[in-house]
Order: sequence, then structure tokens, then C-alpha cells
Amino acid sequence: MYGSASTHDIPAKATTGLENEDPILLAEFEARIARGEKIEPTDWMPQLYRKQLTRMIEQHAHSEIIGSLPEGTWITRAPGFRRKMAQMAKVQDEVGHAQLLYSAAETLGKTREQMLSDLVNGKSKYSNVFNYPTPTWADSNVISWLIDAGAIVNQMANAKGSYGPYCRALDRICAEEAFHLKYGHDAVVHMATGTPVQRKMMQEALNRWWPAIMTFFGPSDKMSVHTEILMRWKVKMATNDACRQQFLDMYVPKIWEIGLTLPDANLRKNEDGVWEFTEPDWEDFKRVINGDGPCNAERIAVRRAAEENGAWVRRALLQPQARYVRPLA
Amino acid sequence: MLSSFDPRINRLGLPESAPPPPDKAALDQFPTYEVFHQRKENAAYAYVGPVHAPEADVAFLFAKEQFSRRFPCTGLWVVPTSAIQVTGYVGDQESVYDQLPLLPADALPAAAAATDEAYDIFHLKKRGKAHAHVGQVRAASPEAALQQAKAAFGDQRPVVNVWVICSADVLRSDDDDRDMWTTTPDKKYREAIAYKVQDRIDRFKQEG
Amino acid sequence: MNPTLDLLYRLADDQLILGHRNSEWNGLGPILEEDIAFSSMAQDKLGHALQLYTLLHELGEAEPDTVAFTRNAPQFHCCQLTELPIGEYDFSLIRHFLFDHAELLRFEALAGSSYEPLAQVARKVKGELKYHVLHANTWVKRLGSATEEAIGRMQAALEFTLPYALGIFETTDAEPDIIRSGLFIGEAELQARWEASIGKVLAQTALTLPDLRTLTPVGGGRRGQHTEYLQPLLDEMAEVFRLDPTADW
Repeated sequence: MYGSASTHDIPAKATTGLENEDPILLAEFEARIARGEKIEPTDWMPQLYRKQLTRMIEQHAHSEIIGSLPEGTWITRAPGFRRKMAQMAKVQDEVGHAQLLYSAAETLGKTREQMLSDLVNGKSKYSNVFNYPTPTWADSNVISWLIDAGAIVNQMANAKGSYGPYCRALDRICAEEAFHLKYGHDAVVHMATGTPVQRKMMQEALNRWWPAIMTFFGPSDKMSVHTEILMRWKVKMATNDACRQQFLDMYVPKIWEIGLTLPDANLRKNEDGVWEFTEPDWEDFKRVINGDGPCNAERIAVRRAAEENGAWVRRALLQPQARYVRPLA
Repeated sequence: MLSSFDPRINRLGLPESAPPPPDKAALDQFPTYEVFHQRKENAAYAYVGPVHAPEADVAFLFAKEQFSRRFPCTGLWVVPTSAIQVTGYVGDQESVYDQLPLLPADALPAAAAATDEAYDIFHLKKRGKAHAHVGQVRAASPEAALQQAKAAFGDQRPVVNVWVICSADVLRSDDDDRDMWTTTPDKKYREAIAYKVQDRIDRFKQEG
Repeated sequence: MNPTLDLLYRLADDQLILGHRNSEWNGLGPILEEDIAFSSMAQDKLGHALQLYTLLHELGEAEPDTVAFTRNAPQFHCCQLTELPIGEYDFSLIRHFLFDHAELLRFEALAGSSYEPLAQVARKVKGELKYHVLHANTWVKRLGSATEEAIGRMQAALEFTLPYALGIFETTDAEPDIIRSGLFIGEAELQARWEASIGKVLAQTALTLPDLRTLTPVGGGRRGQHTEYLQPLLDEMAEVFRLDPTADW
């Protein structure tokens, strides 16, 4: 579950370092990507490519492991066997996706434990939507449906990217997400078409989550030179705006058809087929992503507790002669 | 105490704020194992991804749930990553076997030696896809096994990359372990197909 | 109570409550891969509970959701072992080890039950339970012969948990009928098999199995007497379900 909202593009002023790369190797690398071939871990790659991909896949992985918490909030309270088992399976999948993504990032040279360490020390970012709480069961359903829907838009695009291990992980993740999307939709539909208590609960949850959902794909794109490079290298596959438009096009009608409303009077599709909406509060977004959201502290504290409480298990299992080797693919 | 909407978190009794933990020590870094999955009887084992585990038996426990809980499965192999010999990668239209140095004619022994070991050979047909098992050869070393693999499977094209694994390093599920996957297809609650809600939407719209 | 209902309720309630407890680890486990494995087994337990409540429903009891989400603690027949909070991972693993050994042996025996629908369920889940026990054994063997710290933790967890585990085998008034009618081999026979089974695994570790005869089993669960933890667990589990009893969630 991941949008572009946590990936800050390289600052326009930052150097790409490309002038230091071997021009022949760089040309071969770019030609391979232009031919539609994937890059594999032992291929030559520019430092900037390695760095950006590592950061992006790592943040995606963090978003999965942290993203398991807001829905995990309702794991012990899901109503009825069907929901209870599905909620467990969904939260489990998010942890599974984190495992797959950390593995893909490891092939670029950063160890999983270093990434987990950076997460609990607040050195890495994850998708900002998970810094908001899920005060009711309906909030959890909104995430299951709409945040996952947004993530799928993003992941389907990224699965066509240039890095082999990330594509392999995303192919698997997208196959698993199909269940999440249908499960989330099913739960939201049951509530929205259900009793007055359910309808009210769902509408309130949607009202709470809509502003965060609108920030999910990140701020409007400013096409810097470096974004162009990342798109040429197929690291970034679609602009934030394109993803947001695609999401609105696919899901707003589905939200409206079950009698729910969205808390944005300006939301409409114009004559050109483009969705118009009230610009999200990006200042608030910045404030939350930088640590001042309602759940930032809790999310990190919980991950820390999981790490610390499990430390004795990992200590006990370690074989002194065992050596970490980064995964191959 | 940190107060959460999640009753599980409240039971952890976490402090409102705690100093950040020290960086994790290298000791947490388990070895990695690569996992291969067979989706149905007689299908080639295909690469699905790695797990972190202290030893092969734990790697198997982990691999079983991480890589075979959501899809039909008839068998699972796990191999220490360090035991896999990897060739270079070539382009999607090429064969990596073409780049093997030509050995003198007498370098490949005419007959197998008694000390030869079995090696499992995996091919990657296209960058971004997964390695799949093509068969076994017998040889005295991984390098010799690669030469044998070229002789046995070199006519397949393209071959972007080859993994050579001494068969003794592969932990394989037993035939009588298959029942561990018997009920996987029954777990419909984790499949998209179990969630059909259109009737309910249509009914709601009609009543509208 | 009718012997079939008596047996089914005990089986189903055990599965539901322990499955619920184990699901609390989801996202908080010690290793990513272990988090995933432990969740699968919790889901399996919920699945077993659902199948058993469905058998009860076919015998005239209420719908599985109603039975699971609307009863109060005195109406539950789970053993107290299943309702204890998850504690630290050492306790959760030891409980998993002690309970799932009994469960595997129980379902192996139930595969021959005179009540054919139950026998069918038992035969079906055999493979799942095989994995559960393989998982439990691997962990107990690893941690039970690892560092001093791990062995100490596992030994303490074992000693704390065993009296509750003996409560798995608490009988009810229906026991003679259950055995006579061939529904099940009976708790005493199961316990004997279980002792041999866990003993074999523990013997391969640095852990010491205390003399079980010297322990006082913690019973009561089978007769509706529970720890202080069960009712809050049930209230939490049914929090949403009870918000609107007429709702379809």
C-alpha cells in the first residue's frame, strides 16, 4: 500500500552525479532500458539510479509494514467470521509485501536490518496516510478499499518499471492485492447499503479519510530535469497527477453509486474529462509527514516495540558462523 | 502511557515517548535462502524470492507461508543464497552459454566420475521474470556443471542468466508433505473471487 | 448436554479463542517471516472453528456468527489455556507447541470418529495441523537449545504453561458417552499420547519436562469457569458485531 506521497523527488539543485559516470556504460544502460529490457542486480547502473530505487523500494516496504497497523487496529474486533479471517489475511499480506519489498531493496546493497533500523530511528519515510488513525471499523474498511485502490494504481504503473527484482515483487503483490480491493469494496458496500448505524459510520469514516486520500499520490508534479531522468530510466512511471486522475476516474463513481458523498463541493469531472477538486492542504501534509501527525509517534513506537520484544528471539537463533548474503534477484 | 485506538497496542503498555533505540547490530542479519515453488504436479520449480532464516529448516517454515499460502502448491525447495553459482546476465535475445569460454576438447570428461555430484540448473528466459528449473547434470564442480548444462540445455534460447546449485544444498519438501497444501484452494476468504457484491449494489440502486 | 454437542463446543471454542489470541501478533512478531507464518496458523484455527460451529448449526444450534459473537464467558467451553493473553513470544510459542500437539493427535483420532461429519473435517485439516506441529517443533528445538537466555525463557514459559495445558484434557459429564459411542477416544487416552509426543520433542532440547503428576491441572474451562481474561476478550471481539445486532457486516 503505497503512493508517491512519501517519495520526494530529488531537489532540483542537487547534482545527478551523472558527469562522473562512465559514458559508454551509461549509454548501454540507457539503451537497455529503452529497448524495454529490465535491469538485474549485477548489471552496471548509475549511482543515482541505485540510490533513488533503494529509497523508493525501501519507503514502499516501510509503507507496507507500517500500513499493517491501522487495519491491525481492528483485527481483534472484525465482525463475524468472514470479516475476521479476511482482516487477518489482509494484514498478513501487508507484512508479506514488506518482506518482498525489503528483499528487492536488499539486492541493491542495503541490508534489511539497516532499513528496519532506519525506520524505527525515524530516518526513513513511509506513506503519509498511515499517520492518521482508524477510530472505527469503517475507517479500516475505507483503507482496505480506497487506499489499496490507490496503491494498486501506483503499483501497476511501477510494475512496468525497469528494475527486475522490484517488478518481480510487484507482480506478486498486485496479484495478492486483487483480494484486498474486492474485500474492501465488499465491506464498504455492506456498510453503505446497510442499516442507518452502518451508513452513518461509513459516511463519517469516508469524510475523515478523503483529505488524506487526495494526498496519497503526492503533490502535483513539478517536472524538474531530474524527474525526467527518473522517468527515462523507468524508475518513476507515472506522474502524481496522472495517478490521481486515474484513481478518481475509477473510484469516485463507485463511491457515489452506493449513496456515499465526498466532502469536497468542488469535486467534479469537467467537459475535458479531467477531475477538478479542491487543492489538498499541502502545508498540513508537510507538517504531518515531518512527524507532527496524529499517529506518527505511535506507529514508530509500535515498530520499535516489535523489534525490541523480538530481539531475544533473533539473538537466540543467530549462528555464529552464519553470514548474511544479499538475495540474488 | 501511549494510548491507541488499537486494544492490542494498549496491552503492550508502551511509554508516551521513548528515546530512539541504538542502531541494530549486525547480529540480527540472518543468512538468506532462495525459494523455489512448484505450482502443480510436473511443473518446473520456479524462483519466488528469498527468506531470512538462521538455518534451512526454519527457512522452509518461513518460505511455506510467505510463498505458498496464496497460490496452489505441490512442492517447495529452499537453498542457501551463498550456495548458488550465478553467471553474468546477457540481453533478452541472447544466451549466456555463448559467452562461456571454450574449453579444450578433452576438458569435459567423456564419462562421469564416481565422485561427480548432481547439480540443479535454473534458467532465466527474460529479464524481470523468474528463474525456472531446467534439469540436473552431474559434474565435479560448479564450473564443470555449467559446461555440462551448456551441453544438455544450451540449445534453449534465450538464456539470460543461469543458476547452478549443488543438489545436496537443496532442501526439498517430501512427497508426503503435499497434504500441507491440501486446503489452500479452500481458503476462499483470501481470494478476490469470494467477494461478489454487485447484486447488493443493484438492489440498493433500485430501492434508491 | 448431548455428547456430540458437548464435544463440538469444546473443540470449536478452543479453536476460536486461541485463533483470536494468536491473531494479536499480526504485525508485531519478532521476524517478518515468522509474523506471516503465525498469522496463517491463527487463520487456520479460525477456519477450524467455523467448520465446527457449522456442524453445530447443522445439529440445530444457532448460526456460527451468533454462537461465536454473542455468547458470554460462562457459555464458553474452551480450556483456560486458550484465553490467556499473548504475553511474550516465549509463552505464545510454548502454548502453540503444547496445544497444537494435542490438537494434531486429537484430530488424528477424530478422523475415525463415529460421527462422520466430524471425521470428515478432521481428515481434511490433517495437513494444516502437520505444518502447525512442524512449526512448533522447529521453534522449540531451536530456542530450547540456543542461548542461555532463550533456554531460560522457554523453560520458565513451559513451567508456567503446563498446568493450563493439562486443562486441555479436563472432562465433562458427557465423557463416558463420548467414548462409548465412538465419537472420540476420550481425554485420558489423548493425554497419554500427548505426553509421549511432547516428551519426544523436549528430549531433543536443553529443556526439562517436569513430572506432570506433580502438577495441578488448571481446569474449569470445559464447565464454563474461566479466567478474568475471557470476558474482556469476548467483549472486544464482539465490539463491532454488537453495535447493531440487525446489521449484515
